Amino acid sequence: MRRFWKPDFDSYVAKILPGEYYVTRGGEWIVTVLGSCVSACIRDPKAGVGGMNHFMLPDNNREKWGHTDVDLAHRYGSYAMEHMINDILKLGADRTRLEVKIVGGGKILAQMTDIGDRNIAFVREYLQREGFLIAGEDVAGPHPRKVYYDVLTGRVRVKKLPAQSRESIAVEELGYQRVIETKKVTGDVELF
Amino acid sequence: MDQNAKILIVDDMQTMRRLLRSALNDLGYTNVVDADGGASALSLLESGDFSLLITDWNMPGMEGIDLLKAVRANDKLKSLPVLMVTAEAKKEQILEAAEAGVNGYVVKPFQPAQLKDKLDRVG
Repeated sequence: MRRFWKPDFDSYVAKILPGEYYVTRGGEWIVTVLGSCVSACIRDPKAGVGGMNHFMLPDNNREKWGHTDVDLAHRYGSYAMEHMINDILKLGADRTRLEVKIVGGGKILAQMTDIGDRNIAFVREYLQREGFLIAGEDVAGPHPRKVYYDVLTGRVRVKKLPAQSRESIAVEELGYQRVIETKKVTGDVELF
Repeated sequence: MDQNAKILIVDDMQTMRRLLRSALNDLGYTNVVDADGGASALSLLESGDFSLLITDWNMPGMEGIDLLKAVRANDKLKSLPVLMVTAEAKKEQILEAAEAGVNGYVVKPFQPAQLKDKLDRVG
């Protein structure tokens, strides 16, 4: 996470990258750039805490558990959601008050498969299963997005990025996907 | 661990309970019960003949670490094998769990093979 001053917002902005999340008590915006990845923007309006994540599902084809409830995609996606929600709750949020918005999941290159749609479907299913309503969304479509989130107001500002940015964003996301499919996806603690 | 073992899963997230249950089923364990928090887990444990407890750490109300401590302090339950499956990979937390008497620690997003390995070790 990198934090910088943004004069036109008159505010600090915390930038997150694929695979990261950031939780704050506000007084700053959170920003990220999404291609086929998704972000869940989650806050407790009363407690004044919230956060944003940025992730995509790994492809299941590498392991024998592919396409089941236990598959790599489900394990990784659940982790990406749960880890952030845990941190928001630790800052004093109440689970029953959480307001959720979802952004991203685009199909930014014509030759890409349905990665974005899978990511959106996963987040929707996850939220439904956990009993969270979606208060707002801006998903799918051909454009990459630059997304700003303010946890105090709940405001999500989405800037559709021009076509020439698509390729570099796609390359970055595919690099991230490769990492989560291979080494980083599993906890590595072997103490016992 | 014997495949007939009765296993209790404790996690506040429905998705994770389902995922763990499916993983256990795939490993041949079908006698699985779940609970969404530490307090309800403790009363289930006291009234049932469980062979293993698998618990999350971060839960509203009674946390997994407190559930573990309560189990170790309970005469009837103190020798029950306990696995923690949690998103918390901080060294201090792992040590705290070890000191409280955890039998195995798996960090999410876990691989089913790791879970199997832990089950084999506590058995």
